[in-house]
Amino acid sequence: MKNSFSLKAGVLSLTAFGVILLSGNAGGLAFAADSLPAGFKAGALAPEPSADMIEAGKRVYFTKCVWCHGVDGAGDGPGADRLWPRPRNFNQGTFKIRHTASGELPLFDAKKPVEGQNDLFATVTHGLPGSAMPPWEGILTEEQRLQVLSFVTTQLVKDRKFTDTKSESQTVLQLAELAPIAASEESLKKGAELIVEKKCIECHGVEGRGDGNAFNLKDDWGFSIQPANWHKCWNFRGSRQDPYNVKNIFRTFSTGVNGTPMPSFADNTTVEERWHIANFVNSLCERDGEGKPLPIDPQADKPKINFVVPSGKVEGEISADPENELWTKRARRYIAMGGQITHKPRNFVNRIDDLWVKSLYNETHVVFMFQWDDRTKSVAEGKLPWAPTSVNVEVKEQDPKTGEEGSIAAHQNNYTVYNDAVAMETAIKWKELPAPIKPRYLFGSNEQFPMDIVKWEADGSLRAFKGTGWDKDFEQRFDYEENIKLLFSEWKNGRWTVIIQRPLGDKKEQDYDSDTFFEMGQYIPTVFFAWDGHNGDAGRKMAVSAFYYTFLEPPTPQEAYIYPVAIAAGVVLLEGWILTRRSNKRKAKALSR
Amino acid sequence: MKAIMSLGALIGVAGLLLLSGMIVGIVPSDTVRLIEGYMPVQVIAELILFVAGFTGISYMMSAMGMTFPRFWQGISCWAFVLLYLKFRVYPPIPFSVRAMYGTVSLVAVFMWVSANEEDWQKFKQPIMNVLDAKTGGNRLLRYAYLIILPILIGGFSYNAMVPKSEEPIELRTVHPAPPASTKVHGKTYTLQTSQNPYRVNPEGKYDQEYSNANIVEQGMGRLMKPNANPWDKDAQGYLKYVREGGEIFYQNCHFCHGDNLNGRGLHAFAFNPIPANFTDPGTIAQLQETFIFWRVSKGGIGLPNEGFPWASVMPPWEQHLTVDEIWKVVMFEYWHTGYYPRTWD
Repeated sequence: MKNSFSLKAGVLSLTAFGVILLSGNAGGLAFAADSLPAGFKAGALAPEPSADMIEAGKRVYFTKCVWCHGVDGAGDGPGADRLWPRPRNFNQGTFKIRHTASGELPLFDAKKPVEGQNDLFATVTHGLPGSAMPPWEGILTEEQRLQVLSFVTTQLVKDRKFTDTKSESQTVLQLAELAPIAASEESLKKGAELIVEKKCIECHGVEGRGDGNAFNLKDDWGFSIQPANWHKCWNFRGSRQDPYNVKNIFRTFSTGVNGTPMPSFADNTTVEERWHIANFVNSLCERDGEGKPLPIDPQADKPKINFVVPSGKVEGEISADPENELWTKRARRYIAMGGQITHKPRNFVNRIDDLWVKSLYNETHVVFMFQWDDRTKSVAEGKLPWAPTSVNVEVKEQDPKTGEEGSIAAHQNNYTVYNDAVAMETAIKWKELPAPIKPRYLFGSNEQFPMDIVKWEADGSLRAFKGTGWDKDFEQRFDYEENIKLLFSEWKNGRWTVIIQRPLGDKKEQDYDSDTFFEMGQYIPTVFFAWDGHNGDAGRKMAVSAFYYTFLEPPTPQEAYIYPVAIAAGVVLLEGWILTRRSNKRKAKALSR
Repeated sequence: MKAIMSLGALIGVAGLLLLSGMIVGIVPSDTVRLIEGYMPVQVIAELILFVAGFTGISYMMSAMGMTFPRFWQGISCWAFVLLYLKFRVYPPIPFSVRAMYGTVSLVAVFMWVSANEEDWQKFKQPIMNVLDAKTGGNRLLRYAYLIILPILIGGFSYNAMVPKSEEPIELRTVHPAPPASTKVHGKTYTLQTSQNPYRVNPEGKYDQEYSNANIVEQGMGRLMKPNANPWDKDAQGYLKYVREGGEIFYQNCHFCHGDNLNGRGLHAFAFNPIPANFTDPGTIAQLQETFIFWRVSKGGIGLPNEGFPWASVMPPWEQHLTVDEIWKVVMFEYWHTGYYPRTWD
């Protein structure tokens, strides 16, 4: 098994080498040591780490790393089979995030923990966002991080040798010396043209949501791999906990990502062109209404969360067009989504990790716009083998230990395709619940604390259910479905936009026992669910949010204009009183003297 | 005296520069990081350092003939505390709590400036000067206050009355009282008397001393003891079961509780409350092994009401794991964090 793998890797790197040679010839360039790609300089291999470092590193490895990366560093530890991307197999010496030219080993020097000059050290320090590799800074000391890397690079990288001058070379991107070009409109325009010219969009998609070639890409080990979604820079593996820094994009674009279909563009772009592309890609990353980077939570390396989803008051009809000014001007909320990992079938790999929600309301209805990135539009072929109300559907969860062939990474893109879907769940009779109590986030607690669920599926259906527990089948609410309406749904360039309108409800007319009453100025417990059909998501295999609060913003009351003025007048009076009192006192003093 | 004071001043200036640099972003904001679990002590220590620093600075300044008026000392001291609470402490504390701390520190500042008659006079002198408005500058200031104060207060009250949405604060009991016994997979376990059947020495006897001697070391990194590698092929008893527990942990639990058991797993960012951090001395280190066994088996759904069962995504692990697997994974958590389980006596 191992042999065939290294053989495969060998063949691959040979073909890669051939391609480089060919392209070099085709371009009329001599492939010689003195014609390095622009922005690169030849570097020297680092000396071998000391035996003490390696021995100490073994102890770190077998405490912290072995659980995912495995005893032999083959990326097959106990945790590996339920992860996608799989943990790195160190044996071939293939590392993604580097400053070195395509195919070369990354920078590592056990004596030089310097940012920008030690790729592996930076990877361990900052982790690889979007994968299970956490940042180890603050957990392991700098010394311990260098030790464990000494062990990994000398003992677990088996097919290559970091110190072998005959077979290895280091051609280093001089990132510190290359001054970035300002992200002017002109630069962004050039970048937008270049990503078409350089064929970036063939994989990354027309709008860069990673939807261009989401199915056929494989890494060196034969596992499915997806092109990065440029709109979620905090999930870039090479973001180094600094996601909006354009230098990270420039580096990845210059060096390529070893072991993946992402090539290095160092040979066929100038440094200037690379900055334009990096600027453009960086400009696509999600930003707030004013165009500023989203605040990132340093503890999670994801955008900061606000658990209130405000809904804005509108007079009259609410537009069904997402491009309508009402919607484009409306602020959106980031809803973080995790895998449903409480009850079987658990969803260890959730491909939807966030939703964007906007909401508006008028006298009679409240409308929610959901937008989320999904590389594939998924609609189940034929009739689903279960009723829409079924909760306990036959979807198998990933076994804990299967070996590479049966692992979750090997299953990617081989799932039976179900419907993409989104649902919102709100508490029924939330106002009557005793203080901290809410129904359980997963489809309610029981008959006493049920949930109102509205679910849209990519086959065009919009249904309303009542949930009374995580394992209880839904009750469909046909009487309510007459009143809800799908205003808009579209999948375009890797993004779903769905607009759902539902009645505000009230105590008198609505069926108060099964419909949520959206009362103005109140915090209404709300949960969001999302399903990615190509991930085999159905039933409880889905992405879930925590409890959020829908909040219908009340119009400013008249008192807010009256009282402050009265208070200000009061302050003026008070000031006058203090001043007269003081001057009287002084006069009295002066008199008594 | 002077040497001590200049040292204090040095600390104060360096600390202020570092703090403002970290807030503004000139130096990385994690140059001096707040370590989880030690955060309260750290914050108090830092504040004490700053007080020492301020004492030093004010001493040095008056020694150099640039006496800083007591009035401004009081004001800036209070302002510093407010800013420190707002920008330094992470995760951020809600405004209502900060307002409470702010009031307490305001009272403290008042007590300090009114400690004796002379100080109090010095403190209120500037206020009186403005009220009396004997100089042109003071008169100007008086008119300015006359206009600005009503506008400010009116503005604040408008701000307070405009409808806003703030996350409702929900306080939850982290360690609710456990039941006397719990029934898992058909068998009843009395929490006070049950023992982890895998906490055994190589001979197979229950041996807490042996297992405690083989957990990872406290201190940075929390590494295993050099001669206690659970991945050793010959590992028997406790260490062998730790490895088996670890395998279960990394197949099931790390998604939320994290590769380093610090509650920073892959899915953790999406959930609220965030998953428990076992490396924090306030979690498993405070609890008995059977308490953890109960929590793991029953999960969020099995919490009593004060623990907010509705918000927790903690699975009732009896749905996914056998009793043996639960015991092993609990033991692994103690091994990996280097904590001893609390005993009932």
